[in-house]
Amino acid sequence: MIEITNLSKAFGDFTAVRDLDFRVNAGEVLGLVGPNGAGKTTTLRMMAGIIPPTRGSINIGGHDLASEPIPAKRQLAFFPDEPRLFDYLTVRQHLAFVARLYGVKDHEALAQPLLEELEIADKADKLPAELSRGMKQKLAIACGLLHAPSAMIFDEPLTGLDPLGIRRMKDSILRRARAGAAVVLSSHLLHLLEEVCSHVLILKRGERIAYNTMAAVHAQFSNGDPNASLEDVFLRATGGTES
Amino acid sequence: MSPLGTMARALVYLRVTSFVGQVKSRLLRLKQPKYLAGALVGAAWIWFTFLRRLNEPHAGRPGVRPSPEIPVDALPVLLEAGALALVIILILNWAMPRRAALTFSEAEIAFLFPAPVNRRMLVHYRLLGAQFGIVLTSLVFSLVFGRGQAFGGNVWFHTIGWWIVLATLNLHFTGTSFVYSKLLNRSLTSQQGKVVALAAIYGIIAVLVLWAVFDIRIPRPDDFQTGRAFQAYAATQLHAGPLPWLLIIPRLLIAPYFASGAPEFLFALGPAVVVLAAHYFWVVHTEVSFEEASLAKAEKRAEHVRRAQEGDWRGRLPHHSAQKPAFKLASVGRPEIAFLWKNLLATNSAFRPRVAIAVAAIVFIGSQWLLRPEMEAVRFVVLMFSGVLLAATLLFGPLLARQDLRSDLKNADILKTYPLRGWQVLLGEMLTPLAILTVCVWICLLALFLLLPTEKLEWLAPSLRAAAALGLAVVAPPFVALQLLVPNAAAVIFPAWSVATGNQSERGIEVMGQRIIFMTGQLLITALAIIPALIGAALMFALVQWFAGVLIAGVLAVAVMCGVLSAEAWIGLRWLGGRFEQFDLSSELRP
Repeated sequence: MIEITNLSKAFGDFTAVRDLDFRVNAGEVLGLVGPNGAGKTTTLRMMAGIIPPTRGSINIGGHDLASEPIPAKRQLAFFPDEPRLFDYLTVRQHLAFVARLYGVKDHEALAQPLLEELEIADKADKLPAELSRGMKQKLAIACGLLHAPSAMIFDEPLTGLDPLGIRRMKDSILRRARAGAAVVLSSHLLHLLEEVCSHVLILKRGERIAYNTMAAVHAQFSNGDPNASLEDVFLRATGGTES
Repeated sequence: MSPLGTMARALVYLRVTSFVGQVKSRLLRLKQPKYLAGALVGAAWIWFTFLRRLNEPHAGRPGVRPSPEIPVDALPVLLEAGALALVIILILNWAMPRRAALTFSEAEIAFLFPAPVNRRMLVHYRLLGAQFGIVLTSLVFSLVFGRGQAFGGNVWFHTIGWWIVLATLNLHFTGTSFVYSKLLNRSLTSQQGKVVALAAIYGIIAVLVLWAVFDIRIPRPDDFQTGRAFQAYAATQLHAGPLPWLLIIPRLLIAPYFASGAPEFLFALGPAVVVLAAHYFWVVHTEVSFEEASLAKAEKRAEHVRRAQEGDWRGRLPHHSAQKPAFKLASVGRPEIAFLWKNLLATNSAFRPRVAIAVAAIVFIGSQWLLRPEMEAVRFVVLMFSGVLLAATLLFGPLLARQDLRSDLKNADILKTYPLRGWQVLLGEMLTPLAILTVCVWICLLALFLLLPTEKLEWLAPSLRAAAALGLAVVAPPFVALQLLVPNAAAVIFPAWSVATGNQSERGIEVMGQRIIFMTGQLLITALAIIPALIGAALMFALVQWFAGVLIAGVLAVAVMCGVLSAEAWIGLRWLGGRFEQFDLSSELRP
């Protein structure tokens, strides 16, 4: 479960995120959408513990991220848009390193099926420099999934993946949500969100424009058009302009 | 104007405007406080260290013949020693086969390689480009080496002397790479021909080195007794083996630098310019394909810059193959150890426990050999080297061993998502340089302990020597940890500064000033931190030795020092951990 209360972030005079409230229960997938500069990435970075909020609280699995960061982060996995890897560690060594940080016992037994699921088992002894962009993304995902997180945050998870990789990633997200994970997903690929998200949160200039189940948001902004796509809904909700 | 003339003018225009643009961009970035402060400190340092002396009497104006600080009869020996240094550089240069790769930027390659420019013109363009750096380096060297005042002469003779040496070396390196390119090119040289040529080159190098090694006498203690004795030794040995004829051309090349007056300078300039011109004709008239290697080099440089801009200021490219870990990492245990394991993988494979043990064994066995009376002079040199290495490791090691947060700053975002407190991340990150530097200190202490001349230092009894070495060995880890905290704190508090100063490709007065500020800060903070530890240890020693003896007092003093340094390091680590939890690299590095 992820619960965000009154979350705000200011950089000097500029307020990037203002008084945000939402909740993602186990098994739910929340799509975070908004024009460029709406505050999506700032929100996700605060939720992952990368930057401290100016105001408000973030609760992960019943633990406040500010006062109990270690138990909160143990349940969390953050997948940034650009995979951040260590140049000198092979795929297998990345998993060994992450396993030690999260205290994952017998990680080899867990890592192998994960690598096979992500189709990078044959690259286990390669360095990041020897991997394609998509492979690096898969390695970052494997590192995030190794400790079986109950809360997952994806920032543009499909960047760099091939069509088959995109399909597998969507299935993987849905499977983990069904298994009880709370998932937050930020993407400009609205058709992806339409396929996997149960809920949607639309941001503009750091503020919440809409937040509800996908069906409810659709009904709110579709002007009665049953064939309106999420793209139509998004454009109507945001006024079709950038922030 | 002919097409070639037009292109030549275009290339000169490109070179000059690029230089002007580079200067402008450096001036513009002085708007940022970090660069302005660095520029002010750098300029002040240059003024007080070098330029201020230009106003002093006999400051090297043309026509003024200053009296040299070095005896006149020592100058020929120094000239030959300088020529020997050049020979060593040239031998090392020939010992490294490589493909011809003239340094072009990616943009230069994109515009110039497809342009209607012949290869010789590109070589000229590159040589012209190199001259900016060579002239600047010559001026800097003239200032750094006190404008050659120690040798007499004047500043302009020395500057021109440096330029001739550096420009010729640059041409020689380029020419060597051209020769090797031809040798290594399969379409030009058969495999058999390549083997024969390389064997001939290495054979000549081996013969010359062995000839010199066998003919040059190892110095005896009496050679070091006076300056005159050493001068006589050097003068004799510089004429041993193949050196008399090996030094002929290098001697011509550096003669202008040692000229003490205008007539001597002009007399020496002629032959030096002939050597330079011969190199120029060699390079310009060698037909060799350098484009492919230049492209690879440009891509590598661009990657260095990209990585530096991302926060990986070492700009170092990753290994081509995976390294074997120093030890097996268990799935459970202290998470900080995972960082030690990870960062050791980023180091050279020499930094492994088994290598440290082997080096310690070599030091132990070697010291037994050096303790023989006939090895006294060599033992003295090794002893001095160990002492200097120990001091350098303690003072500069923490600035140079960067396998900590400084090299992981680009991954700061991901580090912050791990279920660890900030201090745990920092402690883990610091463990690798801490381990490496501590082992270096221990090996230096072992060498000093084994090689100190007890017969000349009777007061330094073996037990006292052992106790001092052990005490220093115990104090070393917390002291090094404290030292490492300073650059890591700088990385967290001033990440943009750290990026600029740590990036080896960054140059200029402002970056030099930033490095001076960092180094001064490091020394100041370390000095402040060590004072309470020293006072505590001294008090403990003074109090306890009266009733418990020197040995127990020494042990307790070391314990106090170790405790105070550890406490300071711990407090610093916890404070810095809190800062790390609060900081946002993306906003810190925003211009």
